[in-house]
Amino acid sequence: MKDKCRIGVYICNCGTNIARVVDCEQVCQEVGTLPGVAVARAYKYMCSNPGQEMIIHDIKEQMLDRVVVAACSPRMHEPTFRKALEASGLNPFMLEMANIREQCSWVHDDPQSATRKAIDLTHAAIRRVQLHEPLEKQEAPYTPTTLVLGGGIAGLTVAMELAEAGQQVILVEREDRLGGNVGRVDLTAPYLDSARDILTEKIVRAEASPRVEVLLNTRLTELKGFVGNFTATVEDDTGLAGDRAVGGVVVCTGYRPFDAGRIGSLGYGRLPDVITSFELEQQLRTGKLKTRDGKTPRYVSIVHCVGSRNARYHTYCSRVCCMTALKYGHEIKSAIPEAMITDVYVDMLSFGKGGEDLYRRTSELKTMFLMYEKEDYPKVRSAEPEDDCGMLLQVREKLSGVTIDVPADMIVLMVGMEARHDGDEVARVVGISQDAEGWFIESHPKLAPVSTPTDGVFIAGACQSPKDIPDTVAQARAASAMILAYIAQGKVEVDARFAEVDEDRCSGCRMCNELCPYTAIIYDDETGRSAVQSALCKACGTCVAACPSGAIKARHFTDEQIIEQIEGVLAWGSNQPS
Amino acid sequence: MGFEPTIVGFLCNWCSYTGADLAGTARIKHRPNLRVIRVMCSGRVDPTFVVKAFASGADGVLICGCHPGDCHYLEGNYKTLRRFELLKRLMLAYGIDERRLRLDWVSASEGERFARLVDEMTEKIQPLGPFELGPAFQNGTDLGLVEGITPTPEVSHG
Repeated sequence: MKDKCRIGVYICNCGTNIARVVDCEQVCQEVGTLPGVAVARAYKYMCSNPGQEMIIHDIKEQMLDRVVVAACSPRMHEPTFRKALEASGLNPFMLEMANIREQCSWVHDDPQSATRKAIDLTHAAIRRVQLHEPLEKQEAPYTPTTLVLGGGIAGLTVAMELAEAGQQVILVEREDRLGGNVGRVDLTAPYLDSARDILTEKIVRAEASPRVEVLLNTRLTELKGFVGNFTATVEDDTGLAGDRAVGGVVVCTGYRPFDAGRIGSLGYGRLPDVITSFELEQQLRTGKLKTRDGKTPRYVSIVHCVGSRNARYHTYCSRVCCMTALKYGHEIKSAIPEAMITDVYVDMLSFGKGGEDLYRRTSELKTMFLMYEKEDYPKVRSAEPEDDCGMLLQVREKLSGVTIDVPADMIVLMVGMEARHDGDEVARVVGISQDAEGWFIESHPKLAPVSTPTDGVFIAGACQSPKDIPDTVAQARAASAMILAYIAQGKVEVDARFAEVDEDRCSGCRMCNELCPYTAIIYDDETGRSAVQSALCKACGTCVAACPSGAIKARHFTDEQIIEQIEGVLAWGSNQPS
Repeated sequence: MGFEPTIVGFLCNWCSYTGADLAGTARIKHRPNLRVIRVMCSGRVDPTFVVKAFASGADGVLICGCHPGDCHYLEGNYKTLRRFELLKRLMLAYGIDERRLRLDWVSASEGERFARLVDEMTEKIQPLGPFELGPAFQNGTDLGLVEGITPTPEVSHG
């Protein structure tokens, strides 16, 4: 089969992203003479329309039967080029990509060794593609019911978007009420509209909707199957479990507030009038803004960046605290007009629509702003009897260099957002990943911000990273659109890359039965052989590597294909005189 | 100029390959000695692949998977770990310096870790010089193949 191959090889410059370091012309020349290569071209942008048309044109004109694209990561544009192959009538699996951008030109400076590496990788792809086999598309139905994990503002938004589009939703909430963290907030920044207004309407509609099944005090304990055809096991606090058939899952599990007690100098837990922003929200919601012994505070200090933007805790910005702190200026002044408010901050990050305006309006309230160095938290102590306040907040003011004792009757700590403690459990159950801080990882930060590596599982809101309500709602609606797109199709394409057992070679040892994490391999007593149930197989290939008879084949990742690739990356070195 | 080893890397698609891509997106420079082969799961790495890589001229082999407990396929990396211990013993028996073979974990968010891993491994192999097949390696196995790596009486050249 090999000598009959007609391979088209395309080396992408990616503007200058690749060509700056890798000599694409040289790659083109060196691989152009390899056996099986019918045409090799370097081009500015292979993913552009003209680039794709070049491939399609060559396939037709030059009768190509296989294509290699050396460009960005296959995680980026493999789908794009597969579509190009399909458009010209070639099976999409007759493509192989060589990653010469993310794993080459972007990480190496020396043009000579980077070009060498690019040639090796392209060579390996050319060797591998010769053994590619056309794989037929498989389809499966899509169950139009969606599981939404988390009943905060994100989950409620997804639930209502889908319900209003006429679809069924199962809304699973771990706590005993809907609303999440937004349910603990009084007004919202920057327009000072009520969080209750935003939330109540959604909760009432969700609870009344015949299309939304709300399950409180409930967790997802298992998710089996694949996109369009999941079986979700949900379990309530009493241990009562049940299975639901769902097509897609949207994870909206939100965040938890930073534990202010971790920063000893701020006095939280030691001094009763040091409270967190959430505790202040609680007071504002009930309209009782008082110190612990029932007095009206005259001096209120607000400490920004508690747990955020600090090397010891979290290095990231929590994105909502500055605006929320500015909002407190208005809420406290409207409750206690004579109150003196001091904001102790690192940088004022009141970004986005309406943010700068809120900063200006709060400044006009005669709030005092003091800047501190971010690794140098202020220190809180009780005041002496002769002071006319309850506490003193010692701040080393950054701009003047002067250490100031700020009087305070109440100190509000702007606690940042933190990934939830049960995030790893959720990630494991639904098959997604977390970053070093525990936030769930999206497929691509710009191109696929709510998708995950697990098809049919989406993420929205603050479980992905700290974000405010508008961004959370935007993500929730984006995830809803992704789900509705699946539902509109009514079916899904199932990965054609599953494992197969060659019955003639299978010895029936059942080693693979035990190894398969999805119990997709069943032993047939009558034939004495094992067989893979393709719909359950997720193509990890663990059974393939373990089979002592070499009887299991991983489609598109066969032993032969991988060995060609190994020889391909090493071909140049072994040709060199030693 | 010193010796520049060629290292073959088997990276799982979900964690390590994504981590390697992230090193790229974040422009974290590292040594250009690794040649990556993508597999869906580190559990797919047949010991034969490692033998094959050494036999074909690799100076080192790096296998990377998701961190234990974080496998996209639930537990494929545990299978890899178990298999690796056995493989390593075999490789040592064949006289391969253990610095030439490494199994490590790189998550999708660990671009920096991946880059340092490549640098570290390259620097450890450099002083060893090019890998040369020892007599045990040459005589003990039929290296062409996918058939398996256990020496059988038929291929013994004794």
